[in-house]
Amino acid sequence: MIENELRPSLTVEQVRGTSFNDFQSPLFMAWQLNSVCNLECLHCCEEAGHSMPDELNSKEVMDFCKQIVDLKIPYVAISGGEPMLHPDFFKICEFFRRNSISLKVETNGLFIDEKVAKRFAELGFRSVQISVDGATPATFEKLRIKGNLQKVLDACNRLVKAGVNTEIVFVPTKFNIHETAQLIDLAHDMGIYGFYTGKIMRIGRAGQNWDILCPSDAEYEKFFQVLKEKEVKYAGKMKVYYYPYDVIEELKYRLEHPSTSLLVIPNGKAKLVGPLPFICGDLRQDTLLEI
Amino acid sequence: MEFAKHVKVRQEKFGAVVFETLREKVFVTNETGAEILSLLEEKEEPKEVTAELAKKYCVDSKLIESDVNGLISILEEKGIIKNKEQQ
Repeated sequence: MIENELRPSLTVEQVRGTSFNDFQSPLFMAWQLNSVCNLECLHCCEEAGHSMPDELNSKEVMDFCKQIVDLKIPYVAISGGEPMLHPDFFKICEFFRRNSISLKVETNGLFIDEKVAKRFAELGFRSVQISVDGATPATFEKLRIKGNLQKVLDACNRLVKAGVNTEIVFVPTKFNIHETAQLIDLAHDMGIYGFYTGKIMRIGRAGQNWDILCPSDAEYEKFFQVLKEKEVKYAGKMKVYYYPYDVIEELKYRLEHPSTSLLVIPNGKAKLVGPLPFICGDLRQDTLLEI
Repeated sequence: MEFAKHVKVRQEKFGAVVFETLREKVFVTNETGAEILSLLEEKEEPKEVTAELAKKYCVDSKLIESDVNGLISILEEKGIIKNKEQQ
């Protein structure tokens, strides 16, 4: 019956539990564009600082962008290192937006002046996510070595003023966890679109500094309580999102529920799970479709 | 009707996937829903979608109107499509 064929009682449903094999390509691509960074954050999960010797060159980078477009991957997040230090940063962003890909840029915010904020707004990013790991300069700058809280807040304000969806990401540590509520309130007052956080991961430089960084169970308990309260307080005004699991819990979950996303690191190696060292492909040897 | 600003629709072998990237919510439909979504991207107006499907399958448009409108209601409820004035 035609009627049955057309009936969309299919409804629209959330995809939870749907096998990733059902999809023609990833739904989300996380791309660490580079390793170089102007900061030396104690809690960096990537040990960012200097460039990797074998990072993709400009031609390889743009070829990868084209493959993402060809595979109709709808949503890409660009991070680093500090992605705005990449010489092709704007060329990449413009290419993705010209091809209608939803784009999120994760940055430390230190290169966003008014001109850049305007350019971001014109490009129509899904969002710009800025790391703000403290509500006071002393706390922020203790963690984010060479950082400057005021400059970062100024960048957030410029983006909001320019009409860019601006998000703040906050990594809790022993040094800053007590400022969580203060920072969320500040974010709301600044007109931030979303506040993102979750437990610190024991990888990269954060792993090396674990003993001085990792909050206690009691601190985490209070932290999540604060987040629950703020989530309710700002419902409908600002998204307060927190991921309650640590790396091990995440890995256990992913064994049962493989992600429909892929992570590519600066040298073109592809991973299914960021915190693990295992790679599932290499863009220098395989096409994205093959991976 | 228009899709919300950061919504992406991709055709799949099972139908279509709708990704509301701003809220990071993913939805799926079967082939029928995928066809309606595809027409909505082109035609914008539900009546035009209904008429197109009625013509394609040689059936009375009343038979499929409720199905099209039903899906549109769900899409509106999920913030996936909006009237132009809501954008």
